[in-house]
Amino acid sequence: MKRTKLFAALTALMLILAACTAAEDGGAATTEAAAGGGDGGGAAAGGTLDAVRAADVVVCGVNDGLPGFGVVGADGTYSGFDVDFCRVVAAGVLGDADKVEYKPLTADVRFTSLQSGDIDVLIRNTTWTATRDGQEGASFLFTVFYDGQGMMVPASTGFTTLEDLADANICVLSGTTTELNLTAVFGARGIPFNPVVFEDNAQLRPAYEEGQCEGWTSDSSQLASFKAAIEGEGGDEQFIMAEIISKEPLGPVVSDGDTEWAQAVEWSVMATVQAWEFGLDSGNIGSYSGDNPNILNFLGTDNFDPGLGLSSDFAIQVVTQVGNYKEIFDRHIPAIGLSLEGSPNNIWTDGGLMYVPPYR
Amino acid sequence: MTTTAPAPPRETSLDWVKKNLFRNWWSGLISVILLPLSLYLAYRALRFLFVTGQWDAVRVNLTLFMQGTFSRDEQWRLISQIMIFALAFGIGLGTNSAASHDRAQDAGLDVERGTIAGTLARMWSLVAFIGLLLFFATTDDMGNLINPFLFVGGGLVMGAVGYQARRLPRRFRNVGWLLTMTFLVIGFQIVSGFDAGGWVPLGIIFGVSAYSIAPVDRFEASWLRGALRFAAALIVVLAIRAVYAAVDTPGIGWDDWSGLHLTLMVSAIAIVLAFPLGLLLALARRSTLPALRIMATAYIEVIRGVPLITLLFMGQFILGFVVPQDVTLSAITRAIAVMTFFSAAYIAEIVRGGLQALPKGQTEAGQALGLAPPPIMRRIVLPQALTAVIPAMVGQFISLFKDSSLLSIIAVLEFLGVRKIIHAQEAFRGVGIAETLVFVAIGYWAFAFAMSRESQRLERRLRVSR
Repeated sequence: MKRTKLFAALTALMLILAACTAAEDGGAATTEAAAGGGDGGGAAAGGTLDAVRAADVVVCGVNDGLPGFGVVGADGTYSGFDVDFCRVVAAGVLGDADKVEYKPLTADVRFTSLQSGDIDVLIRNTTWTATRDGQEGASFLFTVFYDGQGMMVPASTGFTTLEDLADANICVLSGTTTELNLTAVFGARGIPFNPVVFEDNAQLRPAYEEGQCEGWTSDSSQLASFKAAIEGEGGDEQFIMAEIISKEPLGPVVSDGDTEWAQAVEWSVMATVQAWEFGLDSGNIGSYSGDNPNILNFLGTDNFDPGLGLSSDFAIQVVTQVGNYKEIFDRHIPAIGLSLEGSPNNIWTDGGLMYVPPYR
Repeated sequence: MTTTAPAPPRETSLDWVKKNLFRNWWSGLISVILLPLSLYLAYRALRFLFVTGQWDAVRVNLTLFMQGTFSRDEQWRLISQIMIFALAFGIGLGTNSAASHDRAQDAGLDVERGTIAGTLARMWSLVAFIGLLLFFATTDDMGNLINPFLFVGGGLVMGAVGYQARRLPRRFRNVGWLLTMTFLVIGFQIVSGFDAGGWVPLGIIFGVSAYSIAPVDRFEASWLRGALRFAAALIVVLAIRAVYAAVDTPGIGWDDWSGLHLTLMVSAIAIVLAFPLGLLLALARRSTLPALRIMATAYIEVIRGVPLITLLFMGQFILGFVVPQDVTLSAITRAIAVMTFFSAAYIAEIVRGGLQALPKGQTEAGQALGLAPPPIMRRIVLPQALTAVIPAMVGQFISLFKDSSLLSIIAVLEFLGVRKIIHAQEAFRGVGIAETLVFVAIGYWAFAFAMSRESQRLERRLRVSR
């Protein structure tokens, strides 16, 4: 009886005090909301950009286990090609490349995280396809990496084209788009072949090295890292054919229906390519002294504002803090065995596909 | 006069070998085959551990295994959190041990006294795991070297303090529990932050304590005593509220937990929440009210019929669309919720098993004494039913602990998932794969085994004091 009274009294006390706190908090929140509505107004437009600015951090969905693109170091920091583009977005939108919160995502949950607003932008080696664009509520932006399925053969075979592989055994992972592409391309060209199917790369690699198959097909970025590993461990020299049998354009993805945010992300990312084209890098962009009006526009020195919702010096922030496209590429991709020269990732003036609309 | 039986001849080790290994020809044959084989396997295992193993993948990434991607600038929060939890557990166990020892003595039973050496011996798997961590810790991260010692040492000291609390006057006997609860709350808030609104848990704990120990015995009028008690509680609660308002420091929440820290925290929280929920479900399923019974049965059968991995995915995909738009639940919060709801269904069935095993006469005896249903349940039925199902219950807790490794599939970086990101690092691509797996396995085993041992002890002690 006594105890019941005690709890009743204390519960009442707690409720009263909690109500006081809640009333104070509620009052404060209302004032804040009113102030926000007063000077903002943009928030009505849906505003991921405003939300990101208010939170002062870009939440970026990444891969935490893909060599070259997204890895976590022993000190818990993220690095990689995709990760650097998260930093590019933060530098462009917030002026500080370090204001990124990384959310590691699996392939299964990535689009849901984007739709539910858990992340602001998804940069996780995600291939742009019609179905994903149409059905996942996602907007795919500027392609930052053109990957594609390639073919690796032991250099001793002397094979250089797919036609050389007639009647050969070809190692491939089961149930992947890789397997479907292989069948489609070889079928269309009328090249006979025997697929040798494996469950994972850990089984495939020894089989390939023992000569169970003459060719190994996978994404060229993966083949390159296996080529480096096999040769590095004293195995036979390998050759990756120049021919690419599928298109895998990878780039940042945002949620459908917020063009303001999409533009801010896309132009921040494209600034890295534009700087490369202008010959500007992290070392010299701050000290540009020429009079090219396009470059002056790009640098915002004449207070040129195209109305993208970015500060006029966003390009300087992006390139000084993270680098131009070539610097980002060279930092991560050659280490997994892919080069820029001759690849679609080269700048358009050198025969690649990296072409951005003019900044004027 | 007492007669003592003649002492049996002392058994020599040779006798033991004869009796247990070479009792007859076939047991001798089995021994001859198995002994060298097990010795050889032990040799290979030790050789792998100390000679051939490429442990660099573990050594370099030890902090990653322990704390994952938690910001290294905020690392002090995690370390303090573990330390404070160690203090809480130490003093909680110490107090509990002292209390149960006193109770057993009051009942005229002779029970072993808890000792520091005994506690360490009981927890030998954890001690061994900490030893393994020290073996891997490099000299340049002194924090990693010192922390396990502080952790164990702090826990033991507080255990001793808690044990001594029984010497205090009766009124202050519960100071151990007060400290345990305070440490638990502060341990959480050192990560989640001491916001102005965070005073409520400590307010409740200290308010209740102030109410019950306020020195008002010398006043005659009961209304005066009540008013004074209430005033004391109010003053304490207001003081705590004022302190929180003055400090008002935000933290970083639990969304950044990862690694072993995440595994332990998520498991502990889920276990603590799932137990009462499971208990309520079990009682509801045996209720005489059809609506309650049907709902509880439906819940239990649906949850038990669906794989955990499916529920985890549903938690990620569906919860986001069910809760209001402006409520954002982190992946970890959702995971804790799913693990709790999942385990509660299994615990309910385990508890129901215990309730059904109890003879009906127990309840009837209580009724014959004129007790109301709640005291019968609380004082007669549940203590016996729960004691009977301790092994099954701890088995469920252990499996919950190991099931937390499924969280990496929904991109929550737990202990096992750290392996994957380590082998994406340039230095460890395809290097030390077996070693990291063995390390993780030892880590899980150390905790699961300690839980199992502790449950056996609890079982023994509850049997004794019955």
